[in-house]
Amino acid sequence: MDLDFSAAEQDFRAEVRDWLARHVPDGLPSMDTLEGFAAHRAWEARLASARLSAVSWPQEYGGRNASLIEWLIFEEEYWAAGAPGRVTQNGVFLLAPTLMAYGTEEQRRRWLPGMAKADQVWAQAWSEPEAGSDLAALKSRATRVEGGWRLYGQKTWSSRAAYASHGFGLFRTSDEGRHRGLTYFMFPLDEVTVRPIAQLDGLPGFAELFFDGVFVSDSMVLGAPGEGWRIAMATTSSERGLALRSPGRFLATADRLVHLARDASPELADRAARCWTDAEAYRLHTFATAHRLMSGAEIGSASSMGKVFWSELDLRMHTLAMELLGERAGETPWLDGFLFALAGPIYAGTNEIQRNIIAERVLGLPR
Amino acid sequence: MTFAFTDEQLALAQTVRDVLRAHCPPAALRSERRPAWEQLAGIGFFGLLLPPDADGLGLRLVDAVAALEETGLACLPGPVVETAVAAPYLLDDVAKLASGSVCVSVLLPGQAYAPDADLADLLVVARADGLHLVSRESVRLAPRPGADPCRRLFDVSFDESVLLDRSYVPALRRATVATAAQLIGVARHLLSVTVAYAGVRSQFGAAIGSFQAVKHQLADVAIALDFAAPLVYRAALSVDRPVPEADRDVSAAKAAAGEAAALAARVALQVHGAIGYTDELDLRFWLGRVWSLSAAYGGSAVHRARVRASVIGGDLRRYP
Repeated sequence: MDLDFSAAEQDFRAEVRDWLARHVPDGLPSMDTLEGFAAHRAWEARLASARLSAVSWPQEYGGRNASLIEWLIFEEEYWAAGAPGRVTQNGVFLLAPTLMAYGTEEQRRRWLPGMAKADQVWAQAWSEPEAGSDLAALKSRATRVEGGWRLYGQKTWSSRAAYASHGFGLFRTSDEGRHRGLTYFMFPLDEVTVRPIAQLDGLPGFAELFFDGVFVSDSMVLGAPGEGWRIAMATTSSERGLALRSPGRFLATADRLVHLARDASPELADRAARCWTDAEAYRLHTFATAHRLMSGAEIGSASSMGKVFWSELDLRMHTLAMELLGERAGETPWLDGFLFALAGPIYAGTNEIQRNIIAERVLGLPR
Repeated sequence: MTFAFTDEQLALAQTVRDVLRAHCPPAALRSERRPAWEQLAGIGFFGLLLPPDADGLGLRLVDAVAALEETGLACLPGPVVETAVAAPYLLDDVAKLASGSVCVSVLLPGQAYAPDADLADLLVVARADGLHLVSRESVRLAPRPGADPCRRLFDVSFDESVLLDRSYVPALRRATVATAAQLIGVARHLLSVTVAYAGVRSQFGAAIGSFQAVKHQLADVAIALDFAAPLVYRAALSVDRPVPEADRDVSAAKAAAGEAAALAARVALQVHGAIGYTDELDLRFWLGRVWSLSAAYGGSAVHRARVRASVIGGDLRRYP
């Protein structure tokens, strides 16, 4: 057991730090505005020009074959530098790992390079009005037609869909079972009716999607028809998926929080120090997980522990910042961060669902 | 970077586990003060951290931390941390320390009482004028009440002693990390026996472990343990090196392990219900060990305050 970075890893960190110090823009407008969305796309293109937008991807798709440890280093430097939120998040961290694992070579060549440069921006489309935590209750359908499929139904809480170009999600293609009749589709959003939904900050961070027979070709099916549930679940707990949210973001928040709490009462300062230590714990835990993954193991259900931990840590940090700042919070980035952190225990599987998964699949308690 | 135990480190832990399964069964906790001591001595446990010229194996703390976790898992009684982890950094030239035939207790800054001092051949006691080495013949012990029937506490006084010309810091750091590792082990046992009980105890026609109100409490224990343990392992590495922020890392580890174990004890008792509140069930030994070890070598509040002073004071260095 050791915690030593190799010389190559240290060089990589230095390169990333140097590049970011020279290129990170001052605060961009929110990515949930038209202007901000364009600015965030431009930033992603700039990152991509230095092959830093998806470092862990193979070179041929725009990455640099970085190891998992190097990816974690990149993320530490990225968030410490105060760089913008990732408008490409859904594509790069959710769809791309799925494409790498289950897509065809043609699909990878067609979509990954553009995703890395934000030529296309992808929205996720999992939830439906009657299928949230119980995702397998989803009713949207795809029916077979000549050369492809037609999509029908309604998706909701689709992050980035207000301005994105494409989406991905599950559709029912047979009635052979709750989980078995589902297929993983990609689709362009231009023929989908998109109704943006304003979030707590008043901006349309997500949207409702209406499918009225939208045609997609067979080349937009990811994996085999009927295999959608297995494929979607496999990559929600993948190493680069949301389940393993990189610690860098929380380390940077924790550092800023400690700075904010330096003149606070002992009680508030103690809470800040706890958050700082918890961010450290998440970082160390992730190094251990990275080692297991690089040795060929899968995280599986244990990824639910990380999801609960980081989302609740993030919320604790931002709640404390709001208390420390009081009425001045709105003049700082902490308010937006607080609103974003509030979503953490809800998205990517609510923390109640995650605790059920931990209890049943990690601890082995009866269902 | 390999933030995972090596095969050798895991093999050592497995050997200790096997010894304790055979020689420290729960029944021994009711009848013996130092079960499995000789068998642990037989596998070289008391010489793990001693240098080869003192008949030891010259290992680092990180090499032994998984094995120490096993001593917590088994609720092993006796001054194990004091003899195997603290003594090698306090005593020179003590023949037979590696063989386990000398039993040591310590009373270092931050401790109110010396654990298992009545079993000790030698005591190391910190006073304002330095570290005193006290022999069994020269010590007067007054027992003090405590939460753990297997880790008895004693007030220590003495007339004759030998002053040791060295710092207590390396020993105290290591004893604190070792105690944190034991707490992780104690808590892992509490979680596993409670999960097992929740799977068989039936009410309303269903195993109580099928109820979400029970599931979520146990999930929270699993999460707390999963994220406390890496802080303990990191603290071992920080002390071994040592890095400038070693004391901060030790305190973070002890506080996190103590709090995770306290949660494990609280949930274990709640899920067991009244049967858990008895002297009859073996659970009581692990509950008592959580309460005694979480107070040992500085309680969680003390260590939290140290982390706060360090972090709020601006020490945000991260190792690595």
